[in-house]
Amino acid sequence: MGNVPGKMDQEDGFNDARPDSSYNTASSSTTVKQYDDDIPSRVRARRTSSLVNSILNGNNTRTRAGSNLSSTNRRKTSREKELAKEAHAKQLIVRCSETVDGGFLAPFGCYSFEKLDYDATVVKNLIIKRMIAPFYTPLQDFDESWTRDELIKIVDGLPLHDTFDENLEEFEDVPIGNLRKPTFNELIDKSLSKKEQRRMHARIFRARLYKKRIIWQENESETFLERKLDMKRIDSKLRNASDNRSNQTKKNHHLPSDDLKYVLYKNGSECPICFLYFPGPFNHSKCCQQPICTECFVQIKRADPHFPHDEVDPTEPPTNDDEKDPNLLTSEPANCPYCATANFSITYQPPTDRETGIGGMPPESYVYRNGAISKPDDGKPHVSVITSDTIRPDWETKLNKERSRLMRRSANATAIHISNRLIDPNHSTRRSTSHSSTPVQDESTSASRSPEPTINEIEDQMVREAIRLSLEDQENRRKPKNKNTSF
Amino acid sequence: MASLPKRIIKETEKLVSDPVPGITAEPHDDNLRYFQVTIEGPEQSPYEDGIFELELYLPDDYPMEAPKVRFLTKIYHPNIDRLGRICLDVLKTNWSPALQIRTVLLSIQALLASPNPNDPLANDVAEDWIKNEVGAKAKAREWTKLYAKKKPE
Repeated sequence: MGNVPGKMDQEDGFNDARPDSSYNTASSSTTVKQYDDDIPSRVRARRTSSLVNSILNGNNTRTRAGSNLSSTNRRKTSREKELAKEAHAKQLIVRCSETVDGGFLAPFGCYSFEKLDYDATVVKNLIIKRMIAPFYTPLQDFDESWTRDELIKIVDGLPLHDTFDENLEEFEDVPIGNLRKPTFNELIDKSLSKKEQRRMHARIFRARLYKKRIIWQENESETFLERKLDMKRIDSKLRNASDNRSNQTKKNHHLPSDDLKYVLYKNGSECPICFLYFPGPFNHSKCCQQPICTECFVQIKRADPHFPHDEVDPTEPPTNDDEKDPNLLTSEPANCPYCATANFSITYQPPTDRETGIGGMPPESYVYRNGAISKPDDGKPHVSVITSDTIRPDWETKLNKERSRLMRRSANATAIHISNRLIDPNHSTRRSTSHSSTPVQDESTSASRSPEPTINEIEDQMVREAIRLSLEDQENRRKPKNKNTSF
Repeated sequence: MASLPKRIIKETEKLVSDPVPGITAEPHDDNLRYFQVTIEGPEQSPYEDGIFELELYLPDDYPMEAPKVRFLTKIYHPNIDRLGRICLDVLKTNWSPALQIRTVLLSIQALLASPNPNDPLANDVAEDWIKNEVGAKAKAREWTKLYAKKKPE
C-alpha cells in the first residue's frame, strides 16, 4: 500500500461524507467482501472492489442499505472477538479452589499475559485428566537443608500469582474509564479520523482488559488469603480443644494439608528453561527425556507463518517477500528446545504418591503414606503425548488466514498498478469504464513494456481473482466456528 | 519495570563466577538486561589477536525470544553487516529457550572461526569472500588490526 499514499484515506472520506458520490465505492465493497471483520483488509478490499466495480458497473444492484447491514455485522464480530478475549483472560486466573495434585489450572505468571495464547480450556482439561503437569507455584530457590517446618512456612507464604506490573508503560496515558460499564465509546475522541478512532478503541480495550485481569486475580488472591487465615484459626482452635475433627471443619477450603505441601516441595527440581524450582513430576520431552515445567511448555509453539528460508546466492538480487506465492507460506511444528528434534512433544506420568483436587481427594485431607496410592483400576500405565499443536488447535486456521491475507494483498497490489494504468489523464469520468469499452491506454507505461497481456486480459484476471477471494471469504465465514474444544 | 526473572539473575551470576575463556559479559548497572560483551578473535582466523566489543540485550520475552546481539567493533565478515548485525541461525529461527547467553556468545565466536558466505548478511563482503577468499581474509586481518586492537594492559 505504501506506493499510493493518501489514496486510501481519500476513499474513506468518500464513503463517509458522500454516500451518493459518483465514485460509487461504498456499495461495491459489500459486493466483494460483505462480512469481513478485519478492518484494515476491508479498507484494502475497497481498493480492489472499486476497480472491479467500475468494470462491472452495470451489474451493481446493491444498495446503501446493504452496506449498513454489513457494517453492523462487522461491529458485532469485533465485539464478539473482544468478549472472547475477556473470556480467555478469565480462564487464565489462578483459582485457589481449582487444584490438581497440589498445582493449579492456570499459570503463575512467569511469562507476560500477552504471551499466554494457548487454548486455556484444552490445557485445563489436560491437567484435570492428569495428562500434563499442573501449573505449580514456583520457588525462587530451594535449600536442601530446610526442615519440614521451614519448608511448610515458605510454601504457606507463596502467592497464587506473581506480582503484576500495575502501571505498564504501554498503557501509561490510555484512559480506561469505568471498568464496570461494558462499553467505553465516550472515551474515544470523535474528532479523530475513523482509522485513529479504531486504533484508540483497540488500545483502550487492551488497557482495560489488562486492568480487569489484575483485579480479577487480586480478588481471587484475597479469597485465598482469607481461607488461609480461616484455616489457621480453625487449626489453633482445634489444638486448644485437643479435638481431632479437623477434616470436618476444613472442608471445602481446597487448601493443601501440611503433608501435601511437604511432599510436593521436598522432591522438586529446577526447570532447565525458567530456572525456577517446581514440585515434580515434570513433563518430559518425548525425544530426549528432558524435564520441562508446564508454564514453559505452553510458551513453546510452532513458528509464525513465514516463507521457507533458503540459502541465498549473494550474487543474485534477493527476492522480495511480496513477490512470493502466498501458498508457499509455511509454519513448522515446534522443535524440541533441548535436542532440536522436529515435532516437539511431551509425556507426563502423574504422581503416584498423591491424587488430590478435582477428581481426587480434597487436598486439605491429604495424609502422606509411604508408597504409592493404590488405585483399583491401575492396570495399565497411562502415558500421554502432548504437542504444542494440541494446546493450540487453531494453528491451521491462523496459517490459512495469513495466506489469504497475503493473497488479498498481492491481488490488491496488482489492482492498484492496473488502476493507475487505467487512469487516462484526458478522461475525467473514470466510472464509465465498463468491461468491454475500456478506452484507456496509458501510453507512458504500457507502450514501453512488452510483451504484456492486454488490458482486457488483466481485467478478466482481476475480476476472477476478486470473485474467488470474495467466495473464499464467504466460505470461511459460513464454516461453523469450532469453539467446542472440550474433550 | 517488572522484576528481573530468576533465569536472568542465575545466568548473570554464572557468567561472572564461571566465565567462558576468551569471552566477557557484564550487565549494565542501570539495566540488568543489557550486557557489555567482548570476544577474542579465534586463533588461526583472520580475527586472531583482535578483541571485539559487542552489545547484548535480553528482550522482555527472553528466553522465549533470542537475545539481541550486535558487534560494536567494525569487522569484515560475510555474516556481519556494517551496523554490526549478525546473521546466525541461533539468533533467529534456530533459537531455543534451552540456549543461554553463554551458548550464544560461543556460537558467535565459532562464527568468527568459520564464516559462511553462502548465507550472508553483508552481500558485498560475501561476494568478495566467494570470489577472492585470500584477498577477503587479508582485508579481514587488516580490519582486525585497525579496529579490534588489544588495548594495552
